[in-house]
Amino acid sequence: MTSYYDVDAILTDAQKVPCTFELSVPALGFLEGNMSGDVKQGSKVELPLWLGEMLAISQSPSLVSLDHPSALSQRVLNALKADARTVDLRALAPHFYNLGARVLELFEEEEMIEVLSDAFKSRAAVIADQAHNPRGALGEGADFMRGLDENERQLFRASHDSAKAVRTWMNDLKK
Amino acid sequence: MALPLPPGLTPPEIAFMCEMELVTIIPRQRLEGLELLGGPLKPLNPPQRASIPLWLALLLKRQRRANIIPPPWLSPHSLAAILKFETEDSPVAFSPPPRLPPLPPSTTVPLSSPFLPSSTADAAADALPYHWLELGSMLLEAAPDDFDDADEVRKLLRGLREARMAKLRQSVEVLDAGGGFKMNGVGGMELGEARSFITGVVDGLRKIGKSREEARKERDRENGYSPSQDYDDDEMDMR
Repeated sequence: MTSYYDVDAILTDAQKVPCTFELSVPALGFLEGNMSGDVKQGSKVELPLWLGEMLAISQSPSLVSLDHPSALSQRVLNALKADARTVDLRALAPHFYNLGARVLELFEEEEMIEVLSDAFKSRAAVIADQAHNPRGALGEGADFMRGLDENERQLFRASHDSAKAVRTWMNDLKK
Repeated sequence: MALPLPPGLTPPEIAFMCEMELVTIIPRQRLEGLELLGGPLKPLNPPQRASIPLWLALLLKRQRRANIIPPPWLSPHSLAAILKFETEDSPVAFSPPPRLPPLPPSTTVPLSSPFLPSSTADAAADALPYHWLELGSMLLEAAPDDFDDADEVRKLLRGLREARMAKLRQSVEVLDAGGGFKMNGVGGMELGEARSFITGVVDGLRKIGKSREEARKERDRENGYSPSQDYDDDEMDMR
């Protein structure tokens, strides 16, 4: 579904996920800052999602095992469950929901789907309010607006543009 | 790349469609019958009332050749009643659209929205038709002197718009990745304004729920469902 040239998809895949090496690999020590050595079995390294995914699913005794990225840790999910509106998603991951969708492709997590969907919905309602209120993005809503992830920014932009188009039309009537 | 326009109609396009609505006028000058693309127009004989398309009514009004009679629902009294219904009686659902006239006999061509007389002088007074916001704004701009109390109508229209847009925004809380919620009675301009937001939310939810959807399809395929049954399954989820 996502295009090869989709910048957002590329940036999502570049986000780091924690991986644990299941085997010792010679001469890969630079991954953890050990320039000339080997990667020992059991060492934890942060790898980009695309690389970690390849290493985890390519071979049957898999080379690494993936873990949830810190942006989707239980702590974050609990915060989203408590009040999604106060969480700064952008600080966690600029493409938070895309990362979530990619991780959900790799792990079976019914609960995470629920939490992310509910968070997205409740934040979307606030985004729409901010988009229709011309002063919202500057006043008390500024902190919330800074914490939007890339998907939510597009949503804000779309609803702001359509509200603006209707306002422009109404003003044009007066001429 | 095609046109850099968002999906759906832009506000000027919606207003253009709205100009097909019939409105009632009192002509001040005689006018010969016109052969319009939308059908022939009867000769205008002052002071007999006539129902003509909005675009022609606006043109005649601008040339001071006619007075427009605002539809009954555009009176302060009915707007206030509808606003009260929207805000107090029904905090979630929208006020219902006007009732459809009894079905014509099957031999005639059925009429749909722009050709139904929902904005003429004998329209229902207690319901907002599809093009309420556009028609109201255009009439208030072009013919404020034909209203009894144009400022009051303008204020009520703005109030209605605010109340209904807030409802529309809140309604995303019940949206699901499967899509589908009741939008009966939502007007054309409101749809145009809310479309990009609502589709954006549904797209986001589908992206998040994609893995679950794939898993379900996989399961269905293993259980040997045919695609048509799969479709029924989706339908069930909407409710």
